[in-house]
This record gives sequence, structure tokens and C-alpha cells, in this order.
Amino acid sequence: MLASFRAELLKIRKRPATWVLALVWFVLLVLFGYVFTYTFAANPPDPPKDQPAAVQQQQEAINKQLLDSLLPENMLKTLFANGTFNLGAAIVLILGAMAAGSEYGWTTLKTSLTQRPGRFGFLSGKALAVGVFIVLFVLLGLAAGAASSYDVAYLEDATVKWPPLEEMARAVGVGVLTFGAWGFLGFALAMLFRGTALAIGLGLAWALAVENTIALLPIDSDWWKGFRRLTLGENTASLGSIFGDPNPSFGIPAPLVEPERAAITLGIYVAAFVALSLFLLLRRDVT
Amino acid sequence: MVAPVRQETAEKDRPSPLVETRSLTKRYGPRITAVRELDLRVERGEVYGFLGPNGAGKTTTLRMLLGLIRPTSGSAAVIGEKPGSPAGLEKIGALVESPAFYPYLSGRDNLRVMARYSGASRSRIGEVLEQVELSGRAKDKFKKYSLGMKQRLGVAAALLKDPELLILDEPTNGLDPKGMADMRGLIRRLGKGERTVLLSSHLLGEVEQICDRIGVISKGSLVAEGAIAELRGREGIMVRATPVEEAAQIAEKLAGVEEVTVNDGALRLTADPERAAEINAKLVSAGLRVSELRPAEQSLEELFLELTDGETV
Repeated sequence: MLASFRAELLKIRKRPATWVLALVWFVLLVLFGYVFTYTFAANPPDPPKDQPAAVQQQQEAINKQLLDSLLPENMLKTLFANGTFNLGAAIVLILGAMAAGSEYGWTTLKTSLTQRPGRFGFLSGKALAVGVFIVLFVLLGLAAGAASSYDVAYLEDATVKWPPLEEMARAVGVGVLTFGAWGFLGFALAMLFRGTALAIGLGLAWALAVENTIALLPIDSDWWKGFRRLTLGENTASLGSIFGDPNPSFGIPAPLVEPERAAITLGIYVAAFVALSLFLLLRRDVT
Repeated sequence: MVAPVRQETAEKDRPSPLVETRSLTKRYGPRITAVRELDLRVERGEVYGFLGPNGAGKTTTLRMLLGLIRPTSGSAAVIGEKPGSPAGLEKIGALVESPAFYPYLSGRDNLRVMARYSGASRSRIGEVLEQVELSGRAKDKFKKYSLGMKQRLGVAAALLKDPELLILDEPTNGLDPKGMADMRGLIRRLGKGERTVLLSSHLLGEVEQICDRIGVISKGSLVAEGAIAELRGREGIMVRATPVEEAAQIAEKLAGVEEVTVNDGALRLTADPERAAEINAKLVSAGLRVSELRPAEQSLEELFLELTDGETV
């Protein structure tokens, strides 16, 4: 497995698409997490002349709250509770799908498997290498958040106060579980469909359209809530809420799942997606 | 089912084969049988040609030998190991169908990836690149390679482990005449010494030039196996003489002629070609007009068409 892991690391590291995805993730996080919010909060539209003073004060309070949320001390809340990190779900889904599916597209599976690694070692090494890059993408997200919030503090002449180290460590864990679940969903879909195109298409449709629709549908029944508690989006949002309640102006629904249960559920998803991939590779002929 | 034509030697004298299959069968659903009851035997140190028309089951067989495809029934042992086991693959180099590598990596980096999978040392990369004469283009991306270069990189990857057994599936496919000649030269060099080569091809001339022994597969079944010369049959003499009926009667009575057949107005005598002059003299002295007399040898193409019921290659 170690030999396969080293080979996979080389392949993913040297693949230009990996770094394009990293760049897209960085830009998405900075733009949607900080630049747009800061631009809006720092340059509020002029209130109408006949607006009551109370409403004007309320508007100013919301703007201040928005600006405060962008400061380093609130970095983890912005990244996780406000859903900024979920933007990366689509990116890591593509990363996972590419790592597994391209072997079918380029028919390199036969070349690699006939070298020696054995199917179990091959897939374990690949999953481990994808896991390493998922951790790197999490660290990139945290670094981008830190740099952006530092810039906001500089622009606002505010004191720079970072979250405690143990909170940062928890953030890495939450990020890895969040990205791990989405990344290995892409990985398993690519193994299932033996290619990247359908895996990415279906994965993105699920992540961006279906999950959001499920979360916003006004169905108030126990079975529906029970189903929602199983979805990836609900669990990643719930896990993110350990860093604080989402900003009310973002309209994010209250989480349904306890964070501890969400962590376990996401961990189970990661294991299940890897196990499914392994099962498929071990069972099927390589044609 | 046609019983395979097989050149047997005493079982006890035979060394253990490097590749051996017993009743190896692969079915896809109830209708398609890609490989049927295949008994293949590749001896250590030989260059074995696996010959058959397109779609005869060659690639499916090789994939089963490499553990990429599981047989429906039967068994196979490659270098004494179960197909696809890491212990067996450690000693096997393979190029199956078209060479497949990572297009964004250079030739050298592709080999680095393969070396990591196989546990081959980094120094082997330079050696195999030299061997396939690709050192000068090793830094170029695989996607920029010509087909011939891709094939050579495929052979280089197969050689990384310095394998005991080299399995090459149609390695000259798509190459131009020079590329084909180069590749055949390379395979001949690789097959020298103790290394065993299992070469699949649908090109008769190719296996004739390169291989020591061949196995012919048709519609999933092995229809012949042996040395090319042996499979061509016993030696003979082709005689064109008139009147042909009288020539046949005289020839049957000649000493040293075992069998006489008439085909397309000519006689085929089963006899030592060394006796051609003597036979000519007898026929002429009997008053026959002999217009042609030469050693008769069944061409590989004739043999192939006979064995595969005329399937085109």
C-alpha cells in the first residue's frame, strides 16, 4: 500500500488540474467568504431620506455585525458556521472523482495493476493519497480564511486576535470530515460509473441542487427530518455550527443534527465510500 | 470442438512451464464465450506466439493471465503463481493492448509512477529508456508522443522489473513499417537469453519472424500449438507433370514416397526433398513432361486458414 500511496502522490501532485482546483477553491473562498461581504458591509447603500432612525440604526448594527464576522477572531465561524467552507465541497468532489475516474478514462488501470500493487494496495494507496490532498485543501482554506480576515482587520484598523489553537485544531478536523465525505463521494461515484464525467455531473447536481432543495423544502414531518438528518449537507452544516450560530442575515436554516452525531455520520460516510470503491474494484473485471 | 494439433513430448521430460492454463474459460453471459477450455503451455526461455484473428480471444486470455479478468472456469498458473497475485506480477512485464499512461506526465515521470508501484529502483528507469531508445524524449509529455514512442514506453514499463516473463499484446499495432521492424528487432533482442516472451499477434509474418513456438486460437479455442516448422507438417515435393494421372500412378510406386495427393493439377508427394532429382529422373524416363518440381511447404498462412476455418486476420 505504501508503494501505491507514493505513486498516487506523484500522480496527483504533478497533475495540473489538481492545482487549478486548489486555485479555484482559494478564489471562491476569498471572494464569497470575504470580498463580497466586506464590500457590502463597508460600503452600505445610502439609506432613504425618510427612513426612520430606528431602522437606520438596525441597518448599521447588521453591517457592524457583518464586519465583525470577518475579523480573525470570528474566522472559524465565517468559514464553517456561515457555510463558506461548503463551497469547497464541489471542488473536492471533483478532486476525488478525477483521482479515481481518470484511471478508467485513460485506461491506465490495467497498466498500474499489472505492475504489482494488487487491487487492495492500489486502491488503499489511492484513497490515502486523496486523503492527503483533502487535508491540504482544508489547510489551504484555513490559510485563505486567515489571510483574508487579517486583511479585513488591517483595513478596519481592528485588533488581530486569532482563535485559540485547540479551536484551530478542531477546525482542521471538521474540515477534513466535511471535505472527506464530499471528496470520497466523488471518488466512489467515479468507481461506480468507471469514469469522471457522470460522477462529477451527478455529484455536483446532488451537492448543489438536490441537497439545497432538500434543506429548503418546507416539509414538517418526522420522516422527512429523519431523511434530512442523513444527508451530507445537513451533517456538514451541523458540524460547522460548533463554531457558532450562522449569521442570521445569511438565511441558513438551523441545524437538525447534533454536532457529535454529525461527525460520526460523516466519518461513516467516508468509510462507506472507500469500502464501496474497494468492493467495486475487487469484484469487477478490468476490461 | 476441434481437438488442438499439439506436438507432444514425453511429459516427464518437460520442465515446468512458465505459463500453464487448464480448461481456462471466460463467458460473458449465456451467449458469448470469449475463451473456451484453453490449455496453453509456455515453456521457460521461449518466444511464444499467440496467434489468432481479431476477436479470437487473445487479449481476454492475456488479461486472465495477468489477473485483470477472472475466468469463468478453469485455472491458470503464471510463474507458479495465481494470476494477478503481487508475487507473480513481480516477475512479469506486460503491455496489454494499446499502451496506456498518464498524458500530463512525461515519459520519465510515467515510469517513475510505475517504478513506485512495482518497487523497481529508480536507476532502472534510465536503463529501460536506453533499451527502448527513448532517452532523448523522456522529458516530453506522454500526450505528445507518436504511437511508436507510446508503444516503446509501454515496453519500457514492462521491462522495469527486469521480468522473467514478458507479455506483449499486439505490440506492433498501428505502427508504420519502420516502427514495426524496430519493435520486432527489440522483441527479438529481449527474447534472447533466459527471458520468456509471450507475444500475441494477428500478423502471421510477425510471429513467423520472432517466435520459437506458436499457439493458434480461433473462436476462443486453441486449435494448434507447436513449433512453426512442425505445425506446417511433414516435408514434401510439389510436382507439376503431364499427364497428371499417370504421374500420380508412377509416383506412388517410387521408393521413399509415402503419400501422393493431387491438388489443382499438381502432385504433392510426401517425401524427403533431397530425393527431388531422383524423382524427376524417374518421371522423365517414364515419358512424362515435368514442368515444375520444388520442395513443397505449407505456408503459415495456409496453415492458419486451415486451422481457423478461413477466418480473416
